[in-house]
Amino acid sequence: MVGVTSFCNFPEDANKIAKVGDTINPNIEAIIALKPQVVFVSTASQIENFTKTLEQQNIAVFVTAPKDLNGILANLRQLGDIFGTTERTTILLNELQEKIIATDEKVAGKTKVKTFVQISKEPLFTIGKDSFLTEIIERAGGTSVTKDVATAYPKLSKETALALNPDVIILSESPDNLETNDVFKNSNAVKNKEVFKINADLLSRPSPRLIDALEQLSEALHP
Amino acid sequence: MKFQISNFKFQTFRFGVGLIILLIAALAAAIYFGSENLSFFELNQTQSSILFDVRLPRVLLGATVGASLAVAGASLQSLLRNPLAEPYLLGVSNGAALGTMLAFVFFSQTDFARPIFAILGASLATIAVYQMAKSRAGMNTERLVLSGVIVTTFLSSLLVLLTSLLDTTKLRSFTFWLLGDLSQATTNGYILTGIAVILGTILLSSQAKALNLMMIGERDALDFGVEVRRVRLIVFATASALVGISVAASGSVGYVGLIVPHLIRLSIGSDNRLVVPFSAISGAIFVVIADTIARVAIAPRELPVGAITALIGAPMFIWLLRKN
Repeated sequence: MVGVTSFCNFPEDANKIAKVGDTINPNIEAIIALKPQVVFVSTASQIENFTKTLEQQNIAVFVTAPKDLNGILANLRQLGDIFGTTERTTILLNELQEKIIATDEKVAGKTKVKTFVQISKEPLFTIGKDSFLTEIIERAGGTSVTKDVATAYPKLSKETALALNPDVIILSESPDNLETNDVFKNSNAVKNKEVFKINADLLSRPSPRLIDALEQLSEALHP
Repeated sequence: MKFQISNFKFQTFRFGVGLIILLIAALAAAIYFGSENLSFFELNQTQSSILFDVRLPRVLLGATVGASLAVAGASLQSLLRNPLAEPYLLGVSNGAALGTMLAFVFFSQTDFARPIFAILGASLATIAVYQMAKSRAGMNTERLVLSGVIVTTFLSSLLVLLTSLLDTTKLRSFTFWLLGDLSQATTNGYILTGIAVILGTILLSSQAKALNLMMIGERDALDFGVEVRRVRLIVFATASALVGISVAASGSVGYVGLIVPHLIRLSIGSDNRLVVPFSAISGAIFVVIADTIARVAIAPRELPVGAITALIGAPMFIWLLRKN
């Protein structure tokens, strides 16, 4: 590993590696200067021009765009194949699968908990039908109350948020999102103190760490 | 600018009554429509909370912000004898935005820091534009618009620079707010903007006669005994305060101060005794309607109200520019 983006903060060692801009503004000169054999790109980047330039420099580009839990696992398998560490990856994949199955078994037959995921307090952003978190909530034994709202991360009307009256609120933990929006003050979730914080990095990145988020979610929804 | 002082005639009275009826209708529609349907005659607890804690405060904030921006625009246009003087286009809104942002970063715990810093920012931007635009030959439209563009873009780049230097997650809400966003209305947020717009409209209306004379030319106004510097100070200070308080509450809602006073002048002429108060009423109508669209168009998602006002305002701006 010769370079990472400034958003890359996990594991700790990622901070010791050269930073080459972020996913929105990658520093292409710095990347070429590092002479990588392959560059991994997530779809968050403006990839088209970016990948073209890299290809002109004879640098291979691999685009990862997992849309759900299975996609993340399939992605991991591909990475293992690329790096020739198929064996180690299989072990890791099995561990992850076990965790997922354990969660499935734990929540099987339990009532789905009405869950609201608050991405940002002000303005009020949540998860919509295109977010992979909608599936994760379902897998953790809940149901996202905003699962039918268009787009992945919509700005939600406060009136609707108030009317939804969730039983649990999950806060994607970041400096501007440490408490629930005022519209929830009379909701079941706030009245029964069913508000949980989960590290935003676990929730927002479609990586194997999402399975940690899944475990934390199922723990919150079905203690 | 067309200059004709109409008498308080029956027609004007009818126009005023019409505007008030329109305001009441717009408020009623805004209270009626929302992302949730309410049964107004038998509100349950949730519905009454939606109505009184969420919808009504937002509608009232929209009305007071719209009135503030329109009144500020109307008086600046008369004072600067320029039809294109508008808080947003002159960079006054951006000055207020920068002030709010600094308050947001350094005094995030103090609620009243935001409007105070916003007023300071708006005032400094106003002074900057005025100093750049005036010349020995007077102040023509091009000079003022150019100065406005310079101040606006300079402040925009400062805003971008600050956002890049600061923690992105902390400023996420801020970037959205910058576009003009009434969703962040607090339950009592409209009280400050309401008091400001009532006092501001009274104060600016009291200067309307002087402004009428100043529209002919500052020297002529002096001959008529108008204390030009005092009037200028009052208008600049009041307009900056109104813009600052509005921006601190709802970001930069653009074009309200431009199109509203113009429509009024087209309808009843340029007498500021009428243009100023009527702009207040019409500004409220405009923003209340625009925000209702923003709330309902893609419900339960929302659009920023600034996008709607700009969508209507920008073509209007081009039309006015061509007409001049």
